[in-house]
Amino acid sequence: MATTVVRPGTAPYPSRWAWIYEWATTTDHKKIGIMYMVTAFGFFLLGGVMALFIRAELASPGIQIAQPETYNQLFTMHGITMIFLFMMPMFTGFGNYVVPLQIGAADMAFPRINALGFWMVPAGGLLALSGFVLGGAADTGWTIYPPYSAQSQLRGVDLLLVGLILLGTSSILGAINFIATIFKLRAPGLTLMRMPLFVWNTLITALLLLFALPVLTSALIMLFIDRNYGGGFFDPVQGGNPILWQHLFWFFGHPEVYILILPAFGIVSEIIPVFSRKPLFGYRAFVLATSAIGALGFSVWAHHMFTTGAVYLPFFAFFTFLIAVPTGVKFFNWIATMIRGQVRLAPPMLFALGLMMLFLVGGLDGVFLAVVPFDFAVQDTYWVVSHLHYVLVAGSLFGVFAGIYYWFPKITGRMLGDGLGKVHFLLMFVGTNLTFFPQHLLGLNGMIRRVADYRANPGWAELNLLSTLGAFMIAASVLPFMWNVFLTMRRPKDVNEDPWDGFTLEWATSSPPPVYNFESLPEIRSERPLFDLKHGTRTDSHGAPTDPSRSLPAGRGQTHGETRADAPEEVLGQPVEGHETASGEPRGVTPGLPDERPSEKGDLRGDDSQARP
Amino acid sequence: MRAFRRPITRLAAAVAAIASVTLLLAGCAGIDPDGRGAPGAFPPPSATDQGEGVNGIYPLVFWIAVGVFVLVEGLIVFAMLRYRRKPADVDLPAQTHGNNLLEVLWTVIPAAVVAVLFVLTIVGLNRVDARPPNDQYAVVVDVDGFQWQWTFRYEEQGIEFTGLGEQGPEMVLPVNEPVLIRLHSNNVLHSFYVPRFLYKKDVVPGRVNEFPVTLTQPGEVYGGQCAEYCGLSHNSMYFTVRAATRADFDAWVAAEQEKARATPTPAPSGQPSGPPGSQVQISASNNVKFDQDVVQVPANTPITVTFVNNDPAAQHNVAIPALGFAGQPLAKPGETVTYTTPPLPAGDNEFICSVHPNMKATLKAQ
Repeated sequence: MATTVVRPGTAPYPSRWAWIYEWATTTDHKKIGIMYMVTAFGFFLLGGVMALFIRAELASPGIQIAQPETYNQLFTMHGITMIFLFMMPMFTGFGNYVVPLQIGAADMAFPRINALGFWMVPAGGLLALSGFVLGGAADTGWTIYPPYSAQSQLRGVDLLLVGLILLGTSSILGAINFIATIFKLRAPGLTLMRMPLFVWNTLITALLLLFALPVLTSALIMLFIDRNYGGGFFDPVQGGNPILWQHLFWFFGHPEVYILILPAFGIVSEIIPVFSRKPLFGYRAFVLATSAIGALGFSVWAHHMFTTGAVYLPFFAFFTFLIAVPTGVKFFNWIATMIRGQVRLAPPMLFALGLMMLFLVGGLDGVFLAVVPFDFAVQDTYWVVSHLHYVLVAGSLFGVFAGIYYWFPKITGRMLGDGLGKVHFLLMFVGTNLTFFPQHLLGLNGMIRRVADYRANPGWAELNLLSTLGAFMIAASVLPFMWNVFLTMRRPKDVNEDPWDGFTLEWATSSPPPVYNFESLPEIRSERPLFDLKHGTRTDSHGAPTDPSRSLPAGRGQTHGETRADAPEEVLGQPVEGHETASGEPRGVTPGLPDERPSEKGDLRGDDSQARP
Repeated sequence: MRAFRRPITRLAAAVAAIASVTLLLAGCAGIDPDGRGAPGAFPPPSATDQGEGVNGIYPLVFWIAVGVFVLVEGLIVFAMLRYRRKPADVDLPAQTHGNNLLEVLWTVIPAAVVAVLFVLTIVGLNRVDARPPNDQYAVVVDVDGFQWQWTFRYEEQGIEFTGLGEQGPEMVLPVNEPVLIRLHSNNVLHSFYVPRFLYKKDVVPGRVNEFPVTLTQPGEVYGGQCAEYCGLSHNSMYFTVRAATRADFDAWVAAEQEKARATPTPAPSGQPSGPPGSQVQISASNNVKFDQDVVQVPANTPITVTFVNNDPAAQHNVAIPALGFAGQPLAKPGETVTYTTPPLPAGDNEFICSVHPNMKATLKAQ
């Protein structure tokens, strides 16, 4: 690999320039993952500031803060920024960092393409946003509907189109890389049906990206031609059709919703079992449900177009209803995982629970919208704005924060503070409801979206003010988070390799992992190889029962209890709270050297963790 | 571990607070221009037969959703509180991997629920889309949406008018008779939305969308507006619909026809006399501004304005609100209309397009 090898614990970079050079040229999936996440978070703050301007303008009727021309650019770029510059790179970042670790790989399949894909994100993002300083950003709405988008005089529209083409290309490259990595680089024994759920969700997401994004990219190029060279793809005067854009856009746009939510579901599906100390209930059903969502996601796009009068309504209504079923399956599986478990309400689990509690609202709203006559009433109103934010804020954003709190100790070797994490969660949970719930009522009462001003109908000013207060509360909730990160990063590394008592392979190497990820891997006989290693339900790599008298070395093995009466005495102890001294060395099992492998297993075969449904 | 309980209590308190504030607000009521009522958990009462198709299904969907919401949130909160980790929890809990019966149940039952909802949707859709026998309509209104106004055309009655200013035009329709609304656009997308119809339909260039509607309550006036983002002044593309008894409707039609006859047709552009410079040409190429920012004219004499509308999509005119000059008739796309203004006082006189009140420029009188 072209990566400069920096072993954990070695001296910092000789100079600032060496540090910059290292990060700018790295092909290490972990560094690229971190860069994706940091970049995405920067764009998140930008998009959040735009949201605050929007909500400030809407706090009361009349134009106070942003004139309509500015306002239209703000809501357009808010959507673009949050979807294309925050959520997608953020989840690509998680995938980059976590997937190779979870499948026991040393890196992604194509490290240099990975680096290329990353560097296209800041380039494309800044290009898309540059309209703000080059005479006006795009003012078309994030859906960029022609004919308006073909006629808009703002250069920002062209900049947006080119930026999105770059970002789309980056995502396609990333998707191919994920698919190749997941299919070709899994550790021995890690069959498809033993993959962690986050890997499964990333795989389905990558497939969705691969099928959906080329359609968007083509449509963007067509629109660019329409705008600049007089193409007539979407212009009825020239025999084109503006509805065609809507089909192409939503053929991408609806799978996009799942592209934004499936990785969050994957994160939640990692966290809930670990924080309940139980395996995920119904692993197979969960994988099937994820695949079903991926497949059905391509058959519902035109439910965004019910009011165009140009689509066959029953077909799309039917599939829209149907896609609620696999989503429901996931919810019941998560809840059943918690039931009879030992639920620990640390920040990652709180955000996972927050996602479940609030995404439910967005999901039920989706069922409402499948009722076509009701869709006629609320399409393009604040009801839909509320729905999509309950999906993307309460779903994707909560998933992002759940993932950050969960993997932060792995990435940095430091545990984020519990107290600030809980303040963050609480503010964000209340703020999200305060912002978006009143929008249901406003939309139902006829307030349309994408307006800088509205009439002072009874109750509207009050509900809008409430919504604005909520938006500022969400913004305020990010401050304790950033303060938490700041404080934590000033402390020395203090986390061992497995602070959460995890189940999957990323917790079987040091925190942070070495460049090459693993010195050795435990054998993999289920979807929870590390759990098996810690709780001794398996045989060693030669198939022989391992010696139960050899417990894990100090600092590791004392973590976990055992349900069985004949559990070895030395494994009893308190759960690790994650603030122990780092053990320094990556841990794992060296195949072929069974004597060196710490193990507490062997006599425990027949433990019910082998019992697959 | 006990400390974990406090945020939960606070969280419950916060949720309760939001709920009560929301309910409180729902109770507030001020002026209510079109009988929409204050925002609440249910749609406004429907003003049309077709809207009943929505209000018929909504409560059922709503209560099913509330049931699912309570069940699932209840299960989440129950699992979270009942099974939270205690200091005594050292041993692993039973490692359950699944239960086929349960999993089949929670797949099949939701599938059955959505199947019922699908059937109801189709029934409701048939009601909303229901057409009168033989497509016999009492009135047909053609609606032209353009940036950012509406033109309503009653071709059979020979009436046509375009909205002026922010309030937009008013469409008058007889009650209890089937009406067909046809939607046209020749520039960008719009959407014809009347909240109390519980209905909207997109206005799509290159395509004529239509929908039937039967109003039920005479004397009511309903607000409507464009619902599909269409650019700068999308937020103020308003109109109203007035429901009238048949007699009122006929009287209104007669009055409008009379008004149309009284409006002078554009004078042929001859050479009206006047002091030098009193004849000016003003033009507009789009709906954001006039092509001229400042036009020099002599003061205290009527001005002959030749107005050329080069905008391919929208109607415009030249009006001087300060002098009460209305600038009628409007110039359609591609048309040239001549106006004669009242004498202008010396100084800057602002003129606007009454269709697009944001289009402003100045007649500088000297």
